[in-house]
Amino acid sequence: MEHIRNHRSVYAYAALFLVLVFAVAMPVGLAWAEDAPAGAATEYRDIPGMGSRNLIWIVAQQHLLLAGFVLGVPIFAWVCEIVGVRTGDQRYDKLAKEFTKLLTSSYATTALFGGILLFLLIGLYPKLMNYLSDVFFPSFLVYCALFLLETATLYLYWYGWDSMQGSKKGLHLFLGFLLNVFAFFIMIVPNSWATFQASPVVIAEGSMWARAWAATWNPTWWPVNIHRLIANVVLGGYICGAYAGLKYLMAQNAEERVHYDWMGYVGNFIGVFGLLPLPFAGYWLMREIYQYNQQMGITLMGGFLSWLFILQAMLIGILFVGSNYYFWLGIMHRIPGSEARYRRPILAMLVILLVCLGVWMTPHSLVASLEEARKMGGTHHPLLGVFGVMSAKMTVSNLMILVTFMSFIMYWRAGKEETARWAKVAKAGQGVLLGIAVVVVVVLGVWGYFVPAITRINYFSTTQVLVVLFVLLTVTPLTGLLMKSARTTTEMVWGVMPGRAGYVLVLNAVMVILLMTLMGYARSSSRVHWHVYGVMQDTSQYAYSPALGYAAAIMALNTFLFCLLVAFIFWVASMGGEKKGGPTDTAHTKAKDAASPAVGSAPAASTGHQ
Amino acid sequence: MAGERSFIAILIKRLLLGGFAAVVLLILTRFVFHFPPVFQAMFVLYAGLGTVTFILLDAPAVSPFGGVKALVALVVFYAVLAGTFIAGANFLPQYDPMVEKGKIDKIVKPKLAATDKGKMDALLKRSVELNAQSQAIMKRLEALGGADKLKAAEGDKGGGGDAPKAAAGDLIGLGKEQYDLQECYNCHKIGGKGSVKKRGPTMDNIGNLMKPEEMKEKITNPRSWMAEGFEKEYNKKQMPDKYKELMTDQEIDVLVAYLASLKDASVETPKPIKK
Ligand code: HEC
Ligand code: HEM
Repeated sequence: MEHIRNHRSVYAYAALFLVLVFAVAMPVGLAWAEDAPAGAATEYRDIPGMGSRNLIWIVAQQHLLLAGFVLGVPIFAWVCEIVGVRTGDQRYDKLAKEFTKLLTSSYATTALFGGILLFLLIGLYPKLMNYLSDVFFPSFLVYCALFLLETATLYLYWYGWDSMQGSKKGLHLFLGFLLNVFAFFIMIVPNSWATFQASPVVIAEGSMWARAWAATWNPTWWPVNIHRLIANVVLGGYICGAYAGLKYLMAQNAEERVHYDWMGYVGNFIGVFGLLPLPFAGYWLMREIYQYNQQMGITLMGGFLSWLFILQAMLIGILFVGSNYYFWLGIMHRIPGSEARYRRPILAMLVILLVCLGVWMTPHSLVASLEEARKMGGTHHPLLGVFGVMSAKMTVSNLMILVTFMSFIMYWRAGKEETARWAKVAKAGQGVLLGIAVVVVVVLGVWGYFVPAITRINYFSTTQVLVVLFVLLTVTPLTGLLMKSARTTTEMVWGVMPGRAGYVLVLNAVMVILLMTLMGYARSSSRVHWHVYGVMQDTSQYAYSPALGYAAAIMALNTFLFCLLVAFIFWVASMGGEKKGGPTDTAHTKAKDAASPAVGSAPAASTGHQ
Repeated sequence: MAGERSFIAILIKRLLLGGFAAVVLLILTRFVFHFPPVFQAMFVLYAGLGTVTFILLDAPAVSPFGGVKALVALVVFYAVLAGTFIAGANFLPQYDPMVEKGKIDKIVKPKLAATDKGKMDALLKRSVELNAQSQAIMKRLEALGGADKLKAAEGDKGGGGDAPKAAAGDLIGLGKEQYDLQECYNCHKIGGKGSVKKRGPTMDNIGNLMKPEEMKEKITNPRSWMAEGFEKEYNKKQMPDKYKELMTDQEIDVLVAYLASLKDASVETPKPIKK
């Protein structure tokens, strides 16, 4: 069986590879247009029709998204594995394994795109690649070494899964840890190349290694490392959710519905937890960009890219609303009898979220038409100004995080009743804590208008973030403790979510992917006509930045292509899974009525609210 | 079905509520706050998003479907999302790539032309002319030393019909262009504009403090001079050492001509110290 499976996936890969080779080679073969006169070194080659930049754009974005996925999934799997060990719930271990299985095929696809990207870059942008190789050659070597380590660890982790159960589980968890450590370094090495392009540090003296190291540790390197690391977790979580949502929609029987409903819940949960600290990381990044190069900050936030941040706010807004909505759906459907009780708080949360989003997307200053600008009173509209400044944005993003966190706690608690004597006190304490946090965040936000910017940034914003983090880090374990001793009044019912829950999960994943493609465009465009900001000019015919509407079409295309690739990866991985246990094996034998809702571990089959 | 009837009631109620919120937001943003049209639309859209979410919370479940039908539904779902996204992006004010293309042409064209043998001579001739012109201006600048006269030449081109003055105006215009292209304003302030965070010295009176050759020296080698009170920045080598490679001699000359015209003694400008 294993044998046959391997053959089939080899064919599938061969087919994909051929298609890609054709897609790439045809235009390249047609063109080979060199735009330098004979004698001089070729600086650029073009591909007529499509344009070299568009091709690079698509291939690079696919590679980046795949890489995000490949780095997000091990974190996701490892966390699930730990949860499985801690709770003794075998479902988590199975889920972790199911996703690790994806890694082997997605890893190959990522490397494939990486290779294509490299060759295309060398072919189409030789001048830039020459320069980058010159600066970064040592880190190319490090990168290769890391790849070897990562690949070896991945195979040990995957093939050792079953043999390292029981007493050797600790060793397996350690392998998972190693896998993530190597993955992290694999991410930050190329990050240094990309961030170098935006905020280069060039030193003339020193050895090859010293120069590469200086260039690597550039001002935006760590902010991007952190921002991307978290974003990758989010991507992994939401893609897992979308996969589960899809499977849920197409489930043939009750068991499958139960399993995929639960999987969707886990995916959404991990995605949301990654989402919470992301705005902080985003602001930190923006601050570093401003500090490195004011012009770049202005181009992004107040210049021609500022409209892009409205799209970003829209996407993040839908993501927050979608994730909350999924929690709310869970409360209303998985926990029978709780709809009426939670309707009011849910409405209140929705309204708070929407107000926060409204403030968030209100920009500080914009390049509007002259007439608009005049109407707005210069570039600073009295009201746009008030809501557009950092103080307001920090405040609302903190509030949004708190609201989302409350949704989650509410969901966690629904259908349970605390029994411990100290529970009442603890519960009240949590309420007070949350209340105080909201008040502190708002007060600091308003106060922020009346203090110098430097005080606000260094003390107020930091305090806001610390308060919110403190709440997250104390309320979560406290609730966990409470729930341990709690009596379950209403058992959670899995597999009865309406179909739109599946669509919401897909929607969330699409939003994250679109967001990543959008920000990739932001990063590249903020360099304007520079390959390496302030050091090497882009003198190709594609040096200008494309307009937002045009870019959005390419982003949507990229998102679609990536979804296809992920579907392909899941499909390849599923070829072996049919024989190997997992949720699908029992599914075929017990064909229940597809339409009838299933009940999970709970005996109380209350489904009357459908 | 009773459930369905009551959902219709919910639907109508929430649609009315959402519609009301949208109208209120529109009135507020349009007539009270005078937001630009894009933002009026955005706020109405947000009301719509909230309404849809709230309605969907209680919508009855549609009967599940599987197989090809589900797949088609998903693709359609994605098409709608992508369509909305693209439409939204197009609805926002579009940045015109031609603006940047124009800017790039100014930077790139001379370099590209330089590699082209045919255009080489034309360029050479132009730069010789430019050089001669700038030298003449430079002399005049030093001889006259009058800020007002130069300011007049800059502000009121051709008004006096005086040829050298008009040329000075051109040159200063070209120099200002270089100043913008090289983004000196990232760190320097002139006329109250530029460098919000005070990274480098204000330069409003630099024309009175530095001779043109000295400025040229500073630009080509930032180690050569230091602004008083900016020891820390000087020691951190804040001012980039890249203009010698990025700019041609002529470009530096016109930039210096522009800087030399800055003689507003009322704005405190740090003194340069020879290093
Ligand atoms: C990254 C920031 C930065 C940029 C960009 C920059 N400078 Fe500077 N510049 C400084 C700093 C800091 C000083 C003061 C310390 C020193 O003298 O080195 C300075 C000093 C000067 C001085 C001396 C001023 C005085 O009062 O003594 C001149 C003249 C000058 N710069 C011209 C320019 C020109 C022209 C450009 C654009 C081609 C430019 N600078 C771009 C940071 C910058
Ligand atoms: C709230 C404030 C946020 C700001 C100001 C912000 C800003 C930025 C900027 C400027 C970049 C480009 C950096 C680079 O890669 O060089 C970026 C990248 C990115 N952002 Fe954010 N971000 C914010 C929140 C978020 C959120 C909530 C997400 C949610 C998923 C997110 C996802 C991403 C991703 C995935 C990238 C990497 C894209 C890429 O380079 O390929 N960001 N962000």
